[in-house]
Amino acid sequence: MKVSYSSDEERFREEVRKWFEENTPPDVKDQTLGGSTLEHDLMFKWHKTLYEKGWISPEFPKEMGGAGFSETEQFIFNYEYSHCGAPRLKTKLVSLGMLAPLLLQHGTKEQQDRFIPDMLSGKTIWCQGFSEPNAGSDLASLNLKAVPEGNYFVLNGQKTWTSMADHADWIFLLVRTDSSGKKQEGISFLLADLKTPGITIRPIEALTDHAPFCEVFFDDVRVPRENLVGKMGEGWKLAGALLQHERLNAFPVGELIYAIETVRKNSEKTIYRGKPLMQDPVFRRKLAALEVDCNSLLYTFFRILSQLKVGSAPGPEASFLKVYGSELYRRVMDLNIEAVGPYGQSWYNLEEFDNSIHQATMGWINSASLTIWGGSSEIQRTVIATQVLKLPRK
Amino acid sequence: MDFELSSEHLSLKESVASFVKKDHSFDRLRTLRNDPLGYSKEVWKKMAELGWMGLIYPEEYGGLELDFAFVMVLLEEFGRGLLPEPWISNVLLGGNLVLMGGSESQKHEVLPGVVSGDLMITAAYLEDDGRYDINFCATSAEQRGDAYFISGKKIFVLDGLSADRFVVSTRTSGSVADKDGITLFMVSSHDAGVKITPLKTMDGRNACIMELRDVSVSGSNVIGEVGRGYPLLSEAIDQATAGICAEMVGGMKSSLDLTVAYLSERTQFGKPIGTFQTPQHKTADMFIQKELAVSSVYYAIASIDEKTDERALAVSIAKAKCSSAYIEITKAAVQLFGAIGFTNEGDIGFFLRRAKVSEILFGDTDYHLDRYTRLSGY
Repeated sequence: MKVSYSSDEERFREEVRKWFEENTPPDVKDQTLGGSTLEHDLMFKWHKTLYEKGWISPEFPKEMGGAGFSETEQFIFNYEYSHCGAPRLKTKLVSLGMLAPLLLQHGTKEQQDRFIPDMLSGKTIWCQGFSEPNAGSDLASLNLKAVPEGNYFVLNGQKTWTSMADHADWIFLLVRTDSSGKKQEGISFLLADLKTPGITIRPIEALTDHAPFCEVFFDDVRVPRENLVGKMGEGWKLAGALLQHERLNAFPVGELIYAIETVRKNSEKTIYRGKPLMQDPVFRRKLAALEVDCNSLLYTFFRILSQLKVGSAPGPEASFLKVYGSELYRRVMDLNIEAVGPYGQSWYNLEEFDNSIHQATMGWINSASLTIWGGSSEIQRTVIATQVLKLPRK
Repeated sequence: MDFELSSEHLSLKESVASFVKKDHSFDRLRTLRNDPLGYSKEVWKKMAELGWMGLIYPEEYGGLELDFAFVMVLLEEFGRGLLPEPWISNVLLGGNLVLMGGSESQKHEVLPGVVSGDLMITAAYLEDDGRYDINFCATSAEQRGDAYFISGKKIFVLDGLSADRFVVSTRTSGSVADKDGITLFMVSSHDAGVKITPLKTMDGRNACIMELRDVSVSGSNVIGEVGRGYPLLSEAIDQATAGICAEMVGGMKSSLDLTVAYLSERTQFGKPIGTFQTPQHKTADMFIQKELAVSSVYYAIASIDEKTDERALAVSIAKAKCSSAYIEITKAAVQLFGAIGFTNEGDIGFFLRRAKVSEILFGDTDYHLDRYTRLSGY
């Protein structure tokens, strides 16, 4: 048993940290917590910087335009990335995080060549069309119809909670091509250009006052047959494979550690009864309890990482990383609001106040979404109970 | 970074697990609860014959000189079955203090007996008014001629009723809460002026209050250097704390397994109660807490093995995490079992009792959170 990184890993960590320290622009750094609400122009600029460095896709092989990092290097990279206060890059999350690995496995050579290079460079921005109104976490109950007609599918229906659809160029979709059998059957996986006539996009305003997601309407939209990924009716299987790519990156533990360090900083700045809040015994104890939990979660990542090294890949038992991480993140954000005191009630005070107030309030609101998206905490707990602990299903 | 157990670790795990299955049962606990010692000398002897007392001791004292991860493996399996035998107090506290600070002659006098299971030794270091602070020491040792005369009172001496020897912390200089000026002495239970008052723990083990009135011991009974007992005590207690954390993890695993089995069998409203969402989600939370506790213990154990500067910090993280996780898990387990969970006929309640004792032993959650804040510099 060994707790520290090897000297090679340590050297790599130093190199990555140094680069981020020197190259992360101040205007993209430190903006908000709990998922980023960074302006899109800044996000594209940052995407380009990482692309030019060759670090836009740590997990991809070098010959595919990725960084070709090992599993441990990926973990270190992702950790250092978020630990320096760099924002989540929505321009790469679904394209390089989900779609590209899927295309490499199940797409045609033509689809790979046509789409992947532009995902890397950021020339084409993708969004993901899985969720539908009233489906919630029941992903398979989808109704967007795709009827084959000559060399096209004709699409009618609606998607919702589509992140960044209003800034994206393309969408990948789960569509219903057959409704005769079980609801998981008859689903297909399609790629659609968002400029196709018949598509309407309506942004939805979130509690952050931003519009991070949209409704997307399809009215007789004609999608070429060559945009089908895999075979007809294989969509459910493909979606499952795609969600498995999340593994260790399902929850960005570096962001959590960054957030708790932010709480530390804020509680050193805040003065209460003549002393930094950090010295208040009650506050210290609360902070320590959260740090113990954050550390335990971080060590759990290390533990899973060393399982991966010897080739025993964790299955559904890793699903608790997301549910626990997101709930812990919310507790950290609660304490951060406590740390900034009365100003924790404020909103949009970027000019008048220190950015830490905006970070705290926006981060707190943002964190409320973490336990909902990507499979709610309730769904995740049911997965743990039935798939990991093997409790009987209904 | 490597958090994997070797095949040697796994083979110890297997043999301890089969021992626990064969030589131990919850009925044994039911009987031992009413026994003053709370454990079985026969089982203790068998454990010694298997070499388990000597895991971390050097070969010259009959030990196996293995790394600390073996301790984790052993204690986790003990914790699975709630073995009441006093391994931690003897091997990680009393014997360990002699190993770390003792002279060659002290080691030869004590350690082979610990390894063979014939000599029982624990540590007496807590006092009234000091809660869990091991530097709080009002017990005095006054030098007169060649001898020291010890007077004072030690509370909650773990497994003190069965101990032949005690490593006692005393103050030879400084004021009551100083870290310097603490001296460790080896005291025998038969020494004149020693009074032992038995205590029974909530989970049925033994402990004692130890009062010392002008107990005369020779200078050759000093363990380590005069006035320099604190670092030794602190290291031994960190190791014992990491040990109890491993035991707690075993208890968490058993509590979860027993609960899952019960929820799968027990029917209500015509279905196994494990199909209902509330029990499912409570059980998922038990699983999550258990996983996090496991990770925290791995980190602490590895820090001890590697002798890193982070040892104390890692131990406090592990103890704070394990204390809250074990209590949360066992409370939920008893709740999910319903009324049977609240009886001595059911097994699950033993884990709740053990969880509470383990939470307090070697410092409760708040103590370790506070120690964490100081060690991490805020």
